Amino acid sequence: MTQGLVDINSWTFIAQILNLFIQIYLIKRFLFKPIQEVLKKRQELSDEQLDSARRANAQAEALRMEYEGSMAQARTEAARIISSARTTAREKSDAIIADANAKAAAAKAKAEADIQQERKKAVNELKNEIGGIAVDLAGRVIEREISEDDHRKLIDEFIESVGEAS
Amino acid sequence: MEVDITGAKILATWHVPFLSDFLGDWQFTETLAVSWIVMAVITITCIILTRDLKVEHVSKRQAVAEWLVELVTNLVRTNTGGTRFDWLIPFVAALFSTSVVSNLISLIGLRSPTADLMTEFAWAIVVFVMITYQKIKSMGILGYLKDFTTPIFVMTPFNILGEVFTPVSMACRHFGNILSGVVINGLIYAALAVASSALFGLIPGAVGRFLSSIPILDVGIPAVASVYFDWFSGVMQAFIFTMLTIMFISQAAGDEA
Repeated sequence: MTQGLVDINSWTFIAQILNLFIQIYLIKRFLFKPIQEVLKKRQELSDEQLDSARRANAQAEALRMEYEGSMAQARTEAARIISSARTTAREKSDAIIADANAKAAAAKAKAEADIQQERKKAVNELKNEIGGIAVDLAGRVIEREISEDDHRKLIDEFIESVGEAS
Repeated sequence: MEVDITGAKILATWHVPFLSDFLGDWQFTETLAVSWIVMAVITITCIILTRDLKVEHVSKRQAVAEWLVELVTNLVRTNTGGTRFDWLIPFVAALFSTSVVSNLISLIGLRSPTADLMTEFAWAIVVFVMITYQKIKSMGILGYLKDFTTPIFVMTPFNILGEVFTPVSMACRHFGNILSGVVINGLIYAALAVASSALFGLIPGAVGRFLSSIPILDVGIPAVASVYFDWFSGVMQAFIFTMLTIMFISQAAGDEA
């Protein structure tokens, strides 16, 4: 038994309306819901990743700033240390040079004093010797003994004049 | 030779108490049976496509499912301008998929549910109810009634006719295209069977008698006609029906949300 080619059948009509709504539900339940859930999850994931990337970026930036700050500080510190070391070294070297100069001057002074003394000593010795020789010579010339004490003054005067000439 | 092209087979008839007084006996037809097969095919396809969904490293199956969802979503959104008709998306998807699968199921030898006017009429009535609901919602019940008297009062009967024939024309357009395919396919099969029997009847003897009893020309040749009447027309009509649905409903809602 068949229907006509174009036939009105209210049962089929009602059933097809219900079928359409059932199909809507089935498609919603088995295609749209799971896919939309996955799409939403993916959206959340990408949002989260973007967020974390942004956070990491900010963190890196902060670290960079901190690093640069500490670098600058270190540079200042180094400069300060170097300059203070330089100052200390200069002070020390100045002190050493001054000390050395003083020592050299002292040594020179001492040497000069020694030389002066030696010379005086030598002159005195020479004076005595020459005095002796002169007394001796004079004694021999006048064949008599000149009292040494009398003539000492005379001789000294002579030597003094010799010393000044020398 | 007689060619008999009929409507859907009636598989069973029940007398339902009370309801049959109004609707007649329940005739369980081929249309309904194949409709359920179509629904099962669509639903099982959905379940297979959405099995084992992942957020990353999606399978090809999942890519297809996501593509389908986005396709329908974009179709509805671009044609209605915005997201306020998102509730329409599953409806459109159900309408289009049911229509396409119903039209194409004739390729495996079943009778298309869409070759029964009641199917399209059922869909068109649902669309009509939605259109009317949207109109009343946007204009108010009085505005809706007053709209029939525009531009002048004399036009009222034509406006009412125009309103009523919206679903009728939608249903008949789709039905007519599918029915024409059914009729022409039936004619082609019958004609080719006659031609086949005449052609192979020319072979003398028992061989000719045997071969002429088999409609050999029916193999392959109708497939050429099927490319237009089943494939092209089937997909086209489903698309037209769906597009008209979207258009009418978004038009009925007017521009304001």
